[in-house]
Amino acid sequence: MTPLSEYVDTIRVVYPSLVTAAALGIGGGIVGTFVLLRREALLTLAMPQVVAVGAALGMAFPWQILPPEWRTLAPALGAVIIAVLLLAWSKRQRTGNWLLPALYIGGLSLSFLIIAHSGEHVIEMQNMFTGMDVTMTPQQMAISSPILLAAGSLCALLWRRWLLFAQAPAVAEAAGRRTNRWETLFLCILAVILLMGTSSLGAVMVIAMLFLPAATALPWASRVPTALLLSMIFSLIFLVAGLILSIEFALPLSQSVGGFGFCCLVISHAAARVWK
Amino acid sequence: MAGEYSDPQPLVEVPHGAFGYAKRPVVRVDGLRLSSGRSLGLFGPNGSGKTTLVRGLMGLLAPMEGHVVRNRENLRFGYLPQHRALDHTWPMSGLDAATMAVSAQTPWGRVGRVRAQILEAMRTLGVEDLANRSFSGLSGGQQQRLLLAGAVACKPDILVLDEPTEGLDVRSRRNLLGFLRGTLAAGLCTVIISHDVQDILQACDEVAWLHPGEDIDQPSTVEMISPNDLAERVAQLRRAS
Repeated sequence: MTPLSEYVDTIRVVYPSLVTAAALGIGGGIVGTFVLLRREALLTLAMPQVVAVGAALGMAFPWQILPPEWRTLAPALGAVIIAVLLLAWSKRQRTGNWLLPALYIGGLSLSFLIIAHSGEHVIEMQNMFTGMDVTMTPQQMAISSPILLAAGSLCALLWRRWLLFAQAPAVAEAAGRRTNRWETLFLCILAVILLMGTSSLGAVMVIAMLFLPAATALPWASRVPTALLLSMIFSLIFLVAGLILSIEFALPLSQSVGGFGFCCLVISHAAARVWK
Repeated sequence: MAGEYSDPQPLVEVPHGAFGYAKRPVVRVDGLRLSSGRSLGLFGPNGSGKTTLVRGLMGLLAPMEGHVVRNRENLRFGYLPQHRALDHTWPMSGLDAATMAVSAQTPWGRVGRVRAQILEAMRTLGVEDLANRSFSGLSGGQQQRLLLAGAVACKPDILVLDEPTEGLDVRSRRNLLGFLRGTLAAGLCTVIISHDVQDILQACDEVAWLHPGEDIDQPSTVEMISPNDLAERVAQLRRAS
């Protein structure tokens, strides 16, 4: 058993990452609930690859005029905006379901091709995907955490809208609501979570926080607000458990959170089957 | 229910119009009127353009030919979806389901101020005790009445009902049609999309029968007839086949 003082020392060093992970857990838990209910899981897998392309561009061709914390974030934001516009167009045109797999494989390939002969950036990129050795500064935390919390809060406040568009789009249309605009807003909220989460903590952590708490919570929720609350609680439990595992057994944090969350998800679904 | 009537000013009128998508007219209609206290049935096979016609009447599709006359400012449309069309994986209570239609009317979906209105409509339809029950665990009739309570709580001028009795047992169907007749007496205009001649006979004053074009590129045409004529002609067609 690791002494408490070592926990305190570790937390003192990595607190910006932990605070951001907690904000990601809250924001991601909320948005992830709707991602699962709206059956848009593939979108969540594809978008971190888009973020990676932007980040790779930022690493290969850094804009010196930008402050250091924005040099990869700004091009990643640009890539995400282009992807959101493409997705919104694709939904409107009903172009079929080729775009998301294309973004996934295209992003995965291009991000590494852009930095192919730069050993230092290749490692940096690998860390962005795996979430290993990712460290954050308090300045980065001060940018990411409020944005993640704001995106989650906005998504939660609009829960009746997402319910309406998923269940009865014709009712919304009859009332004069523009489906495309609201679909685009949801895409933007999700893109913000994915952009801030991936660039701060890596793809493993962001995908874990989007899927696992929501999927663990949903079998036990009778209403959307209950699902959102349970999802936030589970995400914080996963983070604390992942932190304990990572300190006790010297494991990477993102994978510890993801592994613990996955076990809870399996237990939750098995228990729900027995219970119900 | 069918009968002669004179309505000095219908809510919506289509003297002549064609509606469709991407420069291809799907349905062509002449002399269609929606009036307060009257019910129009839309009858026709799948793909004949019933939804397109409804979208045209609601103003969601601009006419490709002719024009649509709206004789009142800010006409409020309500829509009752089929309870079977809902995704039951979403966790929601009976009250959440009933609240959907009202939330559509508010800019950000908030419903705090009109909750009493929804509960009142639920009481009228006898489903107030289902407010806290899981929607997916209710019978088809209970689900449909909850959705109808929400649609009515919006106080629309024109309520469009999409196959309202689909999948309901005899008692639920009778209750629902009885309620609809009551709303007509209260001055609501309803448009009922249905494949069921009995529903149209019981609930509608007039029928727009959509006949698909002979060629796939030809738009459907709309024939305005009485519910009794519809029942007679459908019976003849069944005997002939």
